[in-house]
Amino acid sequence: MEPIICFEHVFKSFGGQAVLQDFSLEIQSGTFLTVIGRSGCGKTTALKMVNGLTRADSGRVLVQGKDVAQADPVALRRRIGYVIQSVGLFPHMTVEKNVAYVPSIAGMDGWKGQARREKTAALLRQVGLDPALAGRFPSTLSGGQRQRVGIARALAAGPEILLMDEPFGAVDEITRAQLQEEMQRIHRESGITILFVTHDIGEALKLGTRVLVMDQGQVQQCDTPEELVRHPATAFVEALVEPQRRLKYYG
Amino acid sequence: MELLQDIFTLYVERADWFAELLAAHMGLALTAIGLAGVLGLLIGIGIAQYPRIAPPVMGVCNVLYTIPAISLLGILIPFSGVGNETAVIALTIYGIMPMVRNTYVGLTTLDPDILEAAEGMGSTRLQSLLRVKLPMAAGVILAGVRNMVVMTISVAGIASFVGAGGLGVAIYRGITIYNPAMTAAGSILIALLAILCDLALGALERYFKQKGT
Repeated sequence: MEPIICFEHVFKSFGGQAVLQDFSLEIQSGTFLTVIGRSGCGKTTALKMVNGLTRADSGRVLVQGKDVAQADPVALRRRIGYVIQSVGLFPHMTVEKNVAYVPSIAGMDGWKGQARREKTAALLRQVGLDPALAGRFPSTLSGGQRQRVGIARALAAGPEILLMDEPFGAVDEITRAQLQEEMQRIHRESGITILFVTHDIGEALKLGTRVLVMDQGQVQQCDTPEELVRHPATAFVEALVEPQRRLKYYG
Repeated sequence: MELLQDIFTLYVERADWFAELLAAHMGLALTAIGLAGVLGLLIGIGIAQYPRIAPPVMGVCNVLYTIPAISLLGILIPFSGVGNETAVIALTIYGIMPMVRNTYVGLTTLDPDILEAAEGMGSTRLQSLLRVKLPMAAGVILAGVRNMVVMTISVAGIASFVGAGGLGVAIYRGITIYNPAMTAAGSILIALLAILCDLALGALERYFKQKGT
């Protein structure tokens, strides 16, 4: 099967500092890929190359078989959900208008008046929120609620790919556990391909159907969580999963 | 106390004249406010979208703003003669600066994460501007409008020195015929007009700030 996302020998540097070095990766459709590594290892850069917010210096990034560099960035981004740590909800719009943003700018049919209300309500329920929140402004929501609205907004246009950049980094432990479970459920129910950047190895192993470990702009290992823990490919991966391993076998 | 009484008598006796001057003053100020508002907003948006041209444009606006009002009127007379036209041009030049500055600052100090979210979700440049940036900057831009409106209303008072109409006519005539009451009567109306506009725009600004951030 053709991979839905493909990195081919991608190089990228910012101001002389190499961020991605000969980075190659294939992601199959329906994968929940968690990406883990230290700050500055290139994980966010790789993520932003999928929706064209960052361009490769050399090499190619293919999304659904098409080179991102040749695609219309606006059309591409509307087909890809995007969630960031700070959420980035529009403060002057209600929850409903935030959720309906992509369908609205893309001029999608069936997103006016009553239809929009119903679709927003369904999306809010999907991310575990009360549809009664639709008329509220983001400033009146809690951090966890905002992040849920952010996820609903990213899902609104029915994307096949969802990019999430440390989405749960700024919420408390309990809320994070709930959000993680919601994401697993959403992935299970929709079959959407998810790229999920995190710096928490526990989160990466818990959520990912595959886990990508990155260091210094290169792939250290990309495997199922079980394989990663059982057979770490490099010393870096071993050091990373060691605490998890102890927890599993001796804990 | 005598002065107050004189002013009051003047308002009663020459109500028609003052009403005429007030209307002319508002006409003059509104024209300049409209022109400065539109031009300043467009220039501000332009330099926010193309930040490389921002420093020279802001520099020119700043220089124009520092020219004393009365000498700006004097400078303009050889080009546009005496009358309302010159006054409107001078007032517009003055009003542009606060509009440009506030529009530029409002649009360039927005939360970069929100702008990245807008871009990452597939907004075109125009959609980002109209749906996200301008509404979020509305509070700051409106503060510039408020500043500009109050200033234009008061500076319009000296427009009579170049033969334009408005309440400045009462002030100027009061000075030339040595009638302090007439000068004060004109000034008070200008001040009241400015205060009323300031209050109204202040309420609008609070509404946007509350919604915006």
